[in-house]
Amino acid sequence: MNHKCFLLLGNSGGAVNNWLSAREYVARINQDAPLQQAGSSFLHTNHSFRVKSNMEEKKPSTADILAKIRAQKAAAAAAQAETPAITAEIPPAEPVAAPAVTSPTVTAPVAATKPVDAGPKPSSTKDIMAAIRAGGVKPAGVAASAPVATSAPVAPAPIVPAAAVPKAPVAAVATGPKLSPQEMLQKMREAKVAAGSAAPPVAAVAKVVVPVAAPPMPAKPVAAGKGAKPTTTQRGLAGLTTVATLSGLFLLLGYLTDSSLLYGLGLLAWAALLTPFAAAWTAIAGIGGIWTLGTARFMFPNVLVEPPSKFKVGPLSDYPLNTVSNKWKDQFGIWIVHTDQYEGRNMIFALASVCTHLGCTPNWLDGEQKFKCPCHGSGFYMTGINFEGPAPRPLERMGLRIAGDGMLEVNKSVKYQEEMGQWADATSYVEVV
Amino acid sequence: MIHLTHNPDLTSSVIYGLGWVYLLMFLMNAVWVKRSYAIDGNCQLSLGGILGKGQQIPYATFWAVYAGILLMVAITHLTGWKNPQQFSLLMPEILKEPINRASNPVAFFVGSTVIYVLMIVLRRWWTTPTAGWILLNLSLLFLALSVTDYDFRQIVGKPDNVPIVAMLYIVGFFTWLYFKKSVDNDDRRAAGRPLFEQENSEKVLTWPDLVYTELVCMVLVTAVLIAWGIVLQAPLEEPASAAKTPNPSKAPWYFLGLQEMLVYFDPWMAGVVLPSVILVGLMAVPYIDFNKMGNGYYTFNERKFAVSTFLFGFLPLWVAMIVLGTFLRGPNWNFFSPYEFWDVHKLELLNNINLSELFWIKGLGQPLPAVPAGASFAQQAPIILMREWLGLAAVVFYLVALPNIMAATVFKPYFVRMGFLRYMVLANLMLMMMSLPIKMVLRWAVNLKYIVAIPEWFFNI
Repeated sequence: MNHKCFLLLGNSGGAVNNWLSAREYVARINQDAPLQQAGSSFLHTNHSFRVKSNMEEKKPSTADILAKIRAQKAAAAAAQAETPAITAEIPPAEPVAAPAVTSPTVTAPVAATKPVDAGPKPSSTKDIMAAIRAGGVKPAGVAASAPVATSAPVAPAPIVPAAAVPKAPVAAVATGPKLSPQEMLQKMREAKVAAGSAAPPVAAVAKVVVPVAAPPMPAKPVAAGKGAKPTTTQRGLAGLTTVATLSGLFLLLGYLTDSSLLYGLGLLAWAALLTPFAAAWTAIAGIGGIWTLGTARFMFPNVLVEPPSKFKVGPLSDYPLNTVSNKWKDQFGIWIVHTDQYEGRNMIFALASVCTHLGCTPNWLDGEQKFKCPCHGSGFYMTGINFEGPAPRPLERMGLRIAGDGMLEVNKSVKYQEEMGQWADATSYVEVV
Repeated sequence: MIHLTHNPDLTSSVIYGLGWVYLLMFLMNAVWVKRSYAIDGNCQLSLGGILGKGQQIPYATFWAVYAGILLMVAITHLTGWKNPQQFSLLMPEILKEPINRASNPVAFFVGSTVIYVLMIVLRRWWTTPTAGWILLNLSLLFLALSVTDYDFRQIVGKPDNVPIVAMLYIVGFFTWLYFKKSVDNDDRRAAGRPLFEQENSEKVLTWPDLVYTELVCMVLVTAVLIAWGIVLQAPLEEPASAAKTPNPSKAPWYFLGLQEMLVYFDPWMAGVVLPSVILVGLMAVPYIDFNKMGNGYYTFNERKFAVSTFLFGFLPLWVAMIVLGTFLRGPNWNFFSPYEFWDVHKLELLNNINLSELFWIKGLGQPLPAVPAGASFAQQAPIILMREWLGLAAVVFYLVALPNIMAATVFKPYFVRMGFLRYMVLANLMLMMMSLPIKMVLRWAVNLKYIVAIPEWFFNI
């Protein structure tokens, strides 16, 4: 039996508080639904948890509990001789100190009514975690309830449980095989012997620490210095600005008053800028500024190697009716189409040689009188209207007009989409009369 | 005379090379004869009474006869290669014609789906060693005979297509291996015997067993890659030009399934949405797979749904699409049968129409609701939505209502088992996958282009 637990009971009345009888008390309360792995881990948290959960199942009345307490007292008196009497003061700094309990009749119902918070008997990891949390939040009052039961009649003073609440054994309790009450009692007796021999030396320690040999649950990491803010010197841009402003002020005043002293002060202030931190800030600001300027400059190249968006493609007479000209495809990516098939009007327009499906360059097949894309088989009539394959919309027109010298001029900077109704725009074609 | 022949079906080098292929096949089958003699046993042969009451003949006899024919064919090739004009061991026209006539996208897709179904239904039969060997021999014979055809050779023999042929054999072999092992394990389960993997769970050491194997594989792969790099030259083409797209323009072979998909969908769907769904769907498999069986061993019966679904997506919808895109798609992305000349001017009628046109023009006999010129978005939207209401309704039904209907009917056990969220993920992934064959069938059957076609908003489904 590795687990030893100690109750430090404030005991002004001199009554002996018997932690072993407290165990028995728990065990008896648990008789209906025996503790799993009883005896192996009698620790406050899970004790209290078990008590709570079992109480919840059965909901014993105050009278029941008092009856049990009385039975316990008799047993405690019998066992008194072999149990270590543990007395201690209430550690003033103990954060988990139980709320002051003034009378037993109050204490017991508290224990009885607590289970509502505790939830059902732990069966899954989730339940266990919930139990741990519940135990962690207010372990003291609940944990104290068991000892209170034994010491109640003579213990008006506040009762302090044994300290740091061990969490680990909960899992062990919950996952082990169920034991019958007889087995539990047996184990408890074994535990009593083992714990009794090991108890006194530890009990003497005022600052109560419960040694737990069970595999501990991974504790929640607690931030060590939480709340205490690290005191770092803050020398950021504010400091830099201050120094720069100051030095600028000194230099300006020095210039105005022609005072070498002020000049010197200004230069000194600049020297202060050369602390490593200030130098780093200056460097980063300088480099960032240079990069920003460089990027901005990149947007305005010296030479644009793309073809001009406006260009002349020759006179109207170059393009006979119902023909597609491949002449400008390689250079500018357009076809010049002269047709009377679109709305029955005789017109010339420029089509972009980009498939509206996925952007390949279609070919004009003169034999079939259609544009055909080699990538996915989209097909377009001479007018640019899509009719086969996956292309969802017609080819796009480019701006076209007759320039002042009578030549056709294409403007590639604008495009006209049929599905948007933009082909009706007069700048998208040239009407031939 | 050779230089006058327009498309010489046969050249000396082809015949000579085929001679070695047949010789190799002869050697393979000679080994098989030995194996068959040792294992297969005898059969009763009566030859319709010629042999009287019949005679016990080892099965190996047939293999020996076949191997002998192969040897003679090989000798014919290796001795007669100098005179290709007189060489008559060609793919017979009587076979080419029906294959050419039956070849179209519909037949291809239906055929690959039928093969997929047969593969599962007949898994017990075709995974026997003899059946596998017969299939291998048939495919090799088909390939060797087809190579005598000029057009077939131009496509299949292209240096960047050769590895795809090899890949097909690898896919076939591993599929065969999977079905063989799972049939074996399913039999063991049925008979109450331990699984193969349990019975033969002999463990070997990483060093030296595994590391030596890896070393050997490394050396072999390196040797194959070097030989391949020397024998098959990289197919380099003219410098790229923005104004000129090669015709046909093909994606890398592993993306040809995607390219085929693009024929049926808007680029946004087939280029972005569906590939993402494929990737995310594969990542979601561990999440939606609640079947714990088949973990660490081969099985089909215990994972029928999972294996069939995956294989459908992989074999007919991915591998078969790669085959289609590689070998059967020619200039202008037209479909060409295996022995057909890749004619740039092949005329195919592909006048596609949208569902809205089908509904308004063909169905109701009235023009599409037209958006007035210069209308604002608020004026456009109701007209466009009314124009496309049928397609939108169909899509909403397909993606929203259908999963629920399936949950209430055919997929009820899955729904109950998986819960709402996981089931919806599964159902939508499946429906997304099935949208490809559905769209393909609709394209072929009624020339449907888009179910929802709103080019005004760049939204097409």
